[in-house]
Amino acid sequence: MKKIITTFALLITIQAFCQKEPVQVKEGFKVEIKTSAICEMCQFTLEKDMAFEKGVKEATLNLEDKVLSVIYNPKKTDAQTIRERITMIGYHADTLARDDEAYKKLPMCCKDGSHGTPIPQVPLKKQGGNQ
Amino acid sequence: MYSVIFFYTTTIIMIKYIFLMILFIGIHFAKGQTVRGMVADERHEPLIGATVLELGTMNGQTTDVNGQFQLKLASKSARLIISYVGFTPDTLDANFTGPMHIMLKSASSELDEVVVTSSSTFMDDLESKHVEVITEAELTKAACCNLSESFETNASVDVSFTDAVSGAKTIRMLGLDGRYVQINRENVPNVRGLSGRYGLSWVPGTWVQSIDVGKGAGSVVNGYESMTGQINVELKKPETSEKLYLNGYVNSFGRLEFNANHARAINDQWSTALLLHTNYFNNEVDNNEDGFMDIPKGRQLNVMNRFKYQGDKLVSQIGLTFMRDEKAGGQTGFGFKDDFQTAPQYGFLSNTTRVEVFGKTGLLFPHKPYKGWGFIYSASYLDIDGGFGRDNYLGREKTLYGNVIFQNIIGNSFHQYKTGMSMLIDDFDEVYADSIFNRQEVVPGLYYEYTYSPGDRFTLLVGARTDFHNLYGTYFTPRLHTRFKFSENTTLRAAIGKGYRTPNTIVENSNILVSSRQLVIEENPEPEVSWNMGGSLVTAINIGSKKLNLIADYFYTTFENQLIYDMDQSSEQLRVYNLRGDSYAHSFQLEGNYQFSDRLSAKAAYKFYDVRATINEELREVPFNARDRFFLNTSYSTPFDKWEADATIQWFGSKRLPDTSDKPAEFQTRSSSPDFLLVNAQVSRGFRWGNIYLGSENLLGFTQEKPIIDSENPFGDNFDASIVWAPVVGRMVYAGFRYKIKR
Repeated sequence: MKKIITTFALLITIQAFCQKEPVQVKEGFKVEIKTSAICEMCQFTLEKDMAFEKGVKEATLNLEDKVLSVIYNPKKTDAQTIRERITMIGYHADTLARDDEAYKKLPMCCKDGSHGTPIPQVPLKKQGGNQ
Repeated sequence: MYSVIFFYTTTIIMIKYIFLMILFIGIHFAKGQTVRGMVADERHEPLIGATVLELGTMNGQTTDVNGQFQLKLASKSARLIISYVGFTPDTLDANFTGPMHIMLKSASSELDEVVVTSSSTFMDDLESKHVEVITEAELTKAACCNLSESFETNASVDVSFTDAVSGAKTIRMLGLDGRYVQINRENVPNVRGLSGRYGLSWVPGTWVQSIDVGKGAGSVVNGYESMTGQINVELKKPETSEKLYLNGYVNSFGRLEFNANHARAINDQWSTALLLHTNYFNNEVDNNEDGFMDIPKGRQLNVMNRFKYQGDKLVSQIGLTFMRDEKAGGQTGFGFKDDFQTAPQYGFLSNTTRVEVFGKTGLLFPHKPYKGWGFIYSASYLDIDGGFGRDNYLGREKTLYGNVIFQNIIGNSFHQYKTGMSMLIDDFDEVYADSIFNRQEVVPGLYYEYTYSPGDRFTLLVGARTDFHNLYGTYFTPRLHTRFKFSENTTLRAAIGKGYRTPNTIVENSNILVSSRQLVIEENPEPEVSWNMGGSLVTAINIGSKKLNLIADYFYTTFENQLIYDMDQSSEQLRVYNLRGDSYAHSFQLEGNYQFSDRLSAKAAYKFYDVRATINEELREVPFNARDRFFLNTSYSTPFDKWEADATIQWFGSKRLPDTSDKPAEFQTRSSSPDFLLVNAQVSRGFRWGNIYLGSENLLGFTQEKPIIDSENPFGDNFDASIVWAPVVGRMVYAGFRYKIKR
């Protein structure tokens, strides 16, 4: 039993590390999502797509740490919906794996290993069932 | 158990994650003001003298002997256009941190006809001619409908209003009628001959990928007909356009339009595109209550199917197009099926069928991108069946056109040349009232064009062609263009050239003939011959952190011969004769554009035209020409064009109108028009799938009072619907959508 509790505690810590919770900001909620973006082209693709996502007010990708900061209206969308959308563009989003079909359509410079970047790790879970 | 495995995997991933984070720390992405890199071909050979241009600016560089370039950017979010003779230009974001390695693909049959798919209007700094490129993004700022309306956000081309019955819009350039502009579709002469008056409305706007507007004399490669300028329209390409593009449009008068484009790759070599356009308008709009429809009824079906083959050494395109256009106007109650010769109303009818096969084939030398053979061809058949009032008009034109081009360098790429020969066979059969006009033109021609460009500062282009016209003898056409770049921001261009064309009396006057005027052709029309000379100065001035781009140009056109359409001698006649005396046009334009912020930009222009011709033995101002014009366009857009708003204001100065002093007092019109303002505006909202738009033309609703003289008696002696100097219809509101599926 104690082991299970420890596992759980660790799991929560890890989850907290890998997936940040939304925080309230002036314009709404803000969530930081770790993505598998690589270059400026990825930045353009992600930011452009987010500009047309329902409830999203602003999206900025930091190319240093590949974290996409999204400010959204919590009445219209939530962090998980946004993560799922990111996977549909072709990128991993925190622990959600990218959609393979979408990934295939990305330009060459956004593919794993381009620009001499390390190949990103495979995230934890495939998006199950909700597609 | 599950959670244990889960925990285990998580830990491993986490470790990898941390490891990656450490790796990333070393990579720093600073937004530099200078970009550098190398331009190479597909075999990684450096390209010497390739152009690297910052989009929307005059800021550019050419690559050195190692294909290297270094460019100081004017704006942070710049995009670069990289182009090179014989290669497909590339557009990309310039905010790379490290050196860029740019690979251009050889372009093949396009030869050096630059096709750029990027935003807004721009000028290529290194082009020796004064050419503005209108891109698709610019074209969507005015949503309607065909080529004649594609210039509404461009200051260099003026849209004019022709007559109060046919509703046709034509263009003017350098103060002269659009018939002196050579209008090509993908370098095939297109809007000319019998399609001269309505041809612009037969090129649907959604088919257009980009338009090059060249002022002054054009290249000899495309023939002798560019007298005041050259417009080349590039249509959607099988290999690059959207998989599916749907567009629907409706306006407040009830006009409906539908467009569908589809493009796909058949295999590695072949691709195809199907372009479809249809419009329908069957309402009777008579807002000025003169008994005449302000806009004619119309319906059109327009289809094009084109194919492209891309091989290693051979590139070929072939296309087929079919168009049927029907117009019915005149007094209310007149319809498509009515006979204007017997109907109680004054009717106007124009039923046109056009069929064309066109294509081009290029032979490439894969390791010598500057070298190539090109063959451009077209065969078309045009049939117009219609009339106005009680007079019928039948026109038939069969055209065969072929142009073989060879392009190479002499020693090195400082010296380039193009040479070739062309053949034009044009067969006309026309019937107007009881007169028959037939002619067959057979014009073989030879040309040579040499370009000296020793770097990016200077270009000299000398061209000449000789054509052997079966009816009018030998045409010798010399043309000269030069470009000098004084500094990073300032470029001067100058050009001189001769041009010729054969006038088509009936078609070119079909607007004037919508009147009681009697057509009097005093003598056999001779070909029109003109010289055009002028130049432009393009410069940029830093204001704050942004650049104000200024373009000043002056062109002078003078006619050795012109066919004069004299409406002044008698208000009951249209007299046609060859020029007896002088005819010239001075054109001056000053344009400035400024990007206030990432979201807001504006473009303003002032235009002055002094256009005079010897009409009725007196050198006087040509009618319907506004000496002064002012143009202002502002654009606002949010990031990624989610919202876009555009407004264009045009001010037209006074125009001289044809003399009507010999008419009874109640039927006389003013001798000159008042000045007036036209405002167009549009808002669009973007989505992932495309956009929707809402706009208005002639927002202030300015119309010409009584555009038709004696509209009560259309068969009487005083009827005249040709003296039109402003819009006949008032405010029009439109809405539409564009739906796109990319490949």
